[in-house]
Amino acid sequence: MAAHRREGVAGYVFLSPWLLGLLGITAIPMVGSLVLSFTNYDLLSDWSELKWVGIHNYTRMFTDDPHYWHAVKVTLVFALVAVPLKLSASLAVALLLNKERRGTGLFRGLFYLPSLLGGSVALALVWRAMWAKEGAVNGFLALFGIEGQNWINEPDWALHTLVVLAIWQFGAPMVIFLAGLKQIPKELYEAAAVDGAANWRAFWHITLPGLSPVIFFNLVLETVHGFQGFTSAYVISGGTGGPIDSTLMYTLYLYKAGFGDYQMGYASAMAWVFLVAIAVITAVLFSTGKFWVHYGDQS
Amino acid sequence: MHRAANAHVTTRRSLLRAAALGALATPFLAACGDDAGQQPAPESTEPVELSMFWWGAEARAKSTEDALKLYTAKYPFVTFKTTWQGNQGYYDKLATLAAGGNAPDIFQIDDGALSEYAERGVTLDLNSYKSSGKLDVKKFPEGLWKYGEVGGKLSGVPTGENTPGMIYNKQLCTELGIPEPTSGMSWEALITWAEQVWVKSGNKVYGTMDPSADYKALWVWLRQQGKELYNGKAVGATKEDLVKWFDLWQGARDRKAAPTADLIHEANGGDVTKQLVVTGKAATSFMWGNQIAELSKATKSTLGVVTYPGDNKGQWARAALYFSVAKSSAKRDRAVDVVNFLVNSPEVGKLWGTDRGLSSNLDVRKAVSDSLTDAVQKTAFAFETDLATKFGPAPQVPPKGHVKVRALLTTHAESVQYAKATSAAAADAFLKEANAALAA
Repeated sequence: MAAHRREGVAGYVFLSPWLLGLLGITAIPMVGSLVLSFTNYDLLSDWSELKWVGIHNYTRMFTDDPHYWHAVKVTLVFALVAVPLKLSASLAVALLLNKERRGTGLFRGLFYLPSLLGGSVALALVWRAMWAKEGAVNGFLALFGIEGQNWINEPDWALHTLVVLAIWQFGAPMVIFLAGLKQIPKELYEAAAVDGAANWRAFWHITLPGLSPVIFFNLVLETVHGFQGFTSAYVISGGTGGPIDSTLMYTLYLYKAGFGDYQMGYASAMAWVFLVAIAVITAVLFSTGKFWVHYGDQS
Repeated sequence: MHRAANAHVTTRRSLLRAAALGALATPFLAACGDDAGQQPAPESTEPVELSMFWWGAEARAKSTEDALKLYTAKYPFVTFKTTWQGNQGYYDKLATLAAGGNAPDIFQIDDGALSEYAERGVTLDLNSYKSSGKLDVKKFPEGLWKYGEVGGKLSGVPTGENTPGMIYNKQLCTELGIPEPTSGMSWEALITWAEQVWVKSGNKVYGTMDPSADYKALWVWLRQQGKELYNGKAVGATKEDLVKWFDLWQGARDRKAAPTADLIHEANGGDVTKQLVVTGKAATSFMWGNQIAELSKATKSTLGVVTYPGDNKGQWARAALYFSVAKSSAKRDRAVDVVNFLVNSPEVGKLWGTDRGLSSNLDVRKAVSDSLTDAVQKTAFAFETDLATKFGPAPQVPPKGHVKVRALLTTHAESVQYAKATSAAAADAFLKEANAALAA
């Protein structure tokens, strides 16, 4: 009995770094922001000025803030375009790199490289320079006699440069796809080959079903990730979400409301709506899973 | 957590200490109270470290550090913990520090944000220091220090005087053989001149930046018609004014006097290196007068500066920047003394030149002017000095919500520039959203 208890205590001690982090950095601040979302908290004023405003922040968001709905639209467009393209690109590259050839290891490394740079500020700065009027992209287009746009300064194009940046960083899902491909039993392909099935049929009937749990995992992860895009939009638009709000991603608008306009209560409310929205979207993805995700242990 | 607790202890301890020493020092202070112009005597020689935060480039960082060293040389027990960064993100950081109860003892602020911080009680009211002479503004132009008042509280001390200035490419005018723009020319004359630049440069250089998204230009233009950008807690311009303003620049763009929307947007970010007069895309940029020094460093062309077009009565003595002291500072008396030193010391004035505007203290300004050797700084100085006799009265400091209003003007003016909205629709949307932001 006593030994058991001692073990339990030891367990909690080993758990404590994570537990403290979870409570101090995630859970308690989250509860705090939920409370603040019902107030007029403005970051700077004395706490005595804090007023309870009920659901005002929420009603304002839905009924009285055109920029809010604009930000929702921008974010949806970004996620709906970037996520499928990124997944397709990473799956395609993973299929190519799955074949054992000389130098495969090197190529795997090279393709993963952009993702190591992650959502870094330096990368976004380079991106901004590349897509400028006199940037590398237009220099390349000029070789073919095409005069490029001022990409990041045109409201119709700016968001798409962010989409391309997101797709380019396909390394993380690619590595997961690669691992998934290795899990598919080789015998299945051998049997298909014996039966005379073409490559595309093998892909359709063996690779995709075999990979579906991994595709599902990547889809959920990248969707959540896509909705949370912030750094590239912030850096490339100089923190404004411009030109004329064309890159005003949800998280960027939230940040601007909280730290730029000192409406932290409103920003907190936005964050909670965002959390619920992502939870709903994830739940919907899960509910579709049973129609197309095949786990090996199911018949 | 640990750090916050620590800071709290320090604060309480130093408060107690300050209170005790304050009582001791009172008779001494009274004795030298009317000795005008002199630094108030130190109240304590206990080592003290003050934190200071500003934005700017590397040159400003160096001259500020040098100025603080002068103070430390005078009072060796006072040291400084300085932090500085570029303009972008400065206010985010300052807000975060203030929200966490760690506001720097002294921080730089501009008239765009002064009300935001003053009305929320972040800045210390300096009126009592002013009346006791510990903060000496007697040598300042009256309109200038009053431009640091928010709701009757002296919330910031102007570091210097500044005025919006239209910076133009002097060299290009000579090359193209066209006259240089002049102070006081009408807006219409500027656009006609700009059209000439486009034609004579062989359709290569646009004549003038389009400042329709720039609150500074709109404000001056409104004042020239007897109006203001702000009327209390509302926008002072009517829909008709705004439509007229947007249409003025639509006309300029149609005539190729002003550039295309994407180029204007690049410059609207405010980055010095992206200004069209620097990148060579246009012959003028709408900036601040003292920025000619900064812009000149970024281009090979010789630049000149004149006022924004229209009657100079629309201009007023603006505070280039302010120093504010945090209300939460436990070392507020010392902090005020440092600010007093920075704005009144001729040595500091000479170190800074025109970087934080023309020194607020007129004696210092004279000393700086006599010591200037740099041709560009001399130009900036002459520009501001010449204007001083032509100023109109100073308006109220922009109210709380101004930061948001500025951003809204940019968005809606740009939507006209990109042909995504008509002037009338943009004016309506701007007024509705800006007034809502000001009322919040």
